[in-house]
Amino acid sequence: MSESVVTEGLPVPASSRRTRLLRSWRRNRFAYALIAPAVVFMVLVHLIPTAAGIYVAFLDLNLFTFALLFHAPRVGLQNFQDLLFDAENPIRSGFTGAVENTIFYTVVTVGVTLVLGIAIAQLLNRNFPGQRLARTLMLAPWVVPSFVVAVLWQFMWQSDSGIINKVLVDYTHILDDKPVWLLGENTMWAIIIPTIWRGLPFVVLIFLAGLQTIPKELYEAAAIDGAGAWRRFRHITLPLMKPLIAIQLLFGVIWSVYQFAVPYVMFGVNPPPDADLLMTLIVRQSFTNQLFGYGAAISVMLMLVMFAWVVVWYRIFRRDLVTA
Amino acid sequence: MRSRLNGKRRLLLAFAVAIIPLTILPAAMARTEAPAVTLKLWIMNNGPEPVKDTERIVAPFERSTGIDVDVELVGWDVQYQRITNAAISGESPDVTQAGTTQVPYFAALRGFENLQSRVGQIGGKAAYAPGVWSTTQVVGRSGTWSVPWFTEARTIYYRKDVLRRAGVNPKTAFKSWAAFTRTLQRIRRVKSINGKPIAPFGQPGRVAWDLVHHIMPFVWGAGGRELSANNKQSTIASPQAVTGVKYFADLIPKGVFLKSSLERNAPQVEEQFKGGRIAVWIGGPWVLATAKRTDDEAWDATARRNVGVAQMPVGPTGKFYTFVGGSNLMLFRYSKHKNEAWQLIRYLSRNDTQLDYARLMGMFPARLAPQKATGKANANQAAFYQAITHGRSYAPIPQWGPVENVYKARFANILEQAAGKGSKPYTRANVASELRAAAREANKLLAQGG
Repeated sequence: MSESVVTEGLPVPASSRRTRLLRSWRRNRFAYALIAPAVVFMVLVHLIPTAAGIYVAFLDLNLFTFALLFHAPRVGLQNFQDLLFDAENPIRSGFTGAVENTIFYTVVTVGVTLVLGIAIAQLLNRNFPGQRLARTLMLAPWVVPSFVVAVLWQFMWQSDSGIINKVLVDYTHILDDKPVWLLGENTMWAIIIPTIWRGLPFVVLIFLAGLQTIPKELYEAAAIDGAGAWRRFRHITLPLMKPLIAIQLLFGVIWSVYQFAVPYVMFGVNPPPDADLLMTLIVRQSFTNQLFGYGAAISVMLMLVMFAWVVVWYRIFRRDLVTA
Repeated sequence: MRSRLNGKRRLLLAFAVAIIPLTILPAAMARTEAPAVTLKLWIMNNGPEPVKDTERIVAPFERSTGIDVDVELVGWDVQYQRITNAAISGESPDVTQAGTTQVPYFAALRGFENLQSRVGQIGGKAAYAPGVWSTTQVVGRSGTWSVPWFTEARTIYYRKDVLRRAGVNPKTAFKSWAAFTRTLQRIRRVKSINGKPIAPFGQPGRVAWDLVHHIMPFVWGAGGRELSANNKQSTIASPQAVTGVKYFADLIPKGVFLKSSLERNAPQVEEQFKGGRIAVWIGGPWVLATAKRTDDEAWDATARRNVGVAQMPVGPTGKFYTFVGGSNLMLFRYSKHKNEAWQLIRYLSRNDTQLDYARLMGMFPARLAPQKATGKANANQAAFYQAITHGRSYAPIPQWGPVENVYKARFANILEQAAGKGSKPYTRANVASELRAAAREANKLLAQGG
């Protein structure tokens, strides 16, 4: 019998495991040394502040106890209970509204970005005059910082003098009356559209790169077999692009849920009820209302939801990532 | 070999002889020369050229003391957060400007010097009007936490030419709430001046950092209060407060309030007035000064020539009120040059410096004597001086900043309802409902203090 059959299924002696670890350490010492600064940075900048933030969620940390910081009175799960179950707590109404808004904002932003992204990538994947110029121009919104995007679109959305209404009403007469974008329920679209505008180029770029790796022979063969454009897309493009779509979906959801800059710059610390997202709520509760415990509690709940999302996402797309 | 070693030793010796003095010399020089002091001063947008103007004002101080003053502009939209961060972290300038209503909150962060032992040098309490001096105090905490720098009051700006065209007498145009509404309705018939459309009235909405300052005078005029007399409970949902807020918001469905101004922030609506887009507006004294400044290009030429100022209208109580604010100077306790920083604050508190700065910025001095002198300059300044003497401010409690923010959000919801853009229809009941929600949130914040 070979050694591998004899040892298979038998417990590995501790000394042998230790020796293997030691050998692995000696072999990879240099690699560990190279990644050590990054690990230290991650611990200092991410892990420790995260742990501190989680701890704050269990404290009554406010304007008057702030000087005590981590020695502020502990209140256990009170902050979480107040947010989730205390109907009398005025902070709760802002919380449920922000949750609904964030869900809507995320679904629409991510959904539209992915669909438009793949559609535009398909268009840019053809040969046509000015293809390079089109691809370059396509990238322009992506290089604009979020702050500038929000300020720009705030001016563009102004109902009387903004360019959006001038185009919709004065120039093209698509609409008869000028909609008001910065007040009321349209404020949700006022933050969704600039987000899509800014995020689309990156998604298009990734999808375009993916499309260019698909062998043209597959499409030719399918065409010879009588498959139309839609069937070629459904049975060749989509399955082969699934890993990239999965990655964009994962990050798109995370980025959208954590969106802060656009609503904050556009509307300030008190966005309208229809445009108040979870991140603006957290900043308002923590840094304006000085209710740091509540702000931290909402952050912890958000973090847990995102963990759950990553787990669900992985379960759905695991096979696609492995076969990619 | 021996000679090579000797050569190396000689080279090492020469190197040591050259290097050692170079390391000792700077230290020796440092010991003999006094280090220059540079103070860092944070200011907010106090005019069209705030940094340049402040540098002009402090230049004589720099010349006479040899102390450099590094002036940094921190916008009103971010100053709350930046000063908070500085007060907590210790990474701070030496002196900062702060809004009068913010002083109690910042003082509660324990990042600022108690100036009680020093203020006698600038005349103390007696050199200031009681309302102005009260902005240096914090309820429940002894000490003096800031020094008043300049004062401002909100009052009505109007276009004299538009009132003439509308056939309205400016002396009575804004005398009472009823007169105010009638005036705006008559201005609406004017429609345009020099071919430029003009709306009767406009004020910024939720993005304005000073939204509460525009509405509270109407709450006070109706007999309402922002907080109870003991500052422990919100009274913003009282029937009087509802009356005051509703009066202001009613201007929108009456068609005399430019709805699109609600989409803008305070500087943008200020520019609408300067640009001749609105005829009546509530603002502070700094705008008057900019009408004379040629470097402020936001002014339409006709608007610039026809600016008038009037008192806030008298409300149902038979009195008129306005918000009196301004800015104070606070000294960070982390400052490494506290004595020099105090020297700067003293300089900025001198009567002549106060007058100079006020003239430049269009603000009012904080000290009594120069304040009176400024009030006598012309009819418009007299109107502002009257406003200051009839002005009110908010309770000097640390929680006021967060409470003001809660009121701002609810006031904004009410204005948007009145504009037909709220989630509920605009009725007195819904106004009262919003203000009750504001009161509940405010009470939660007030309870933080125990």
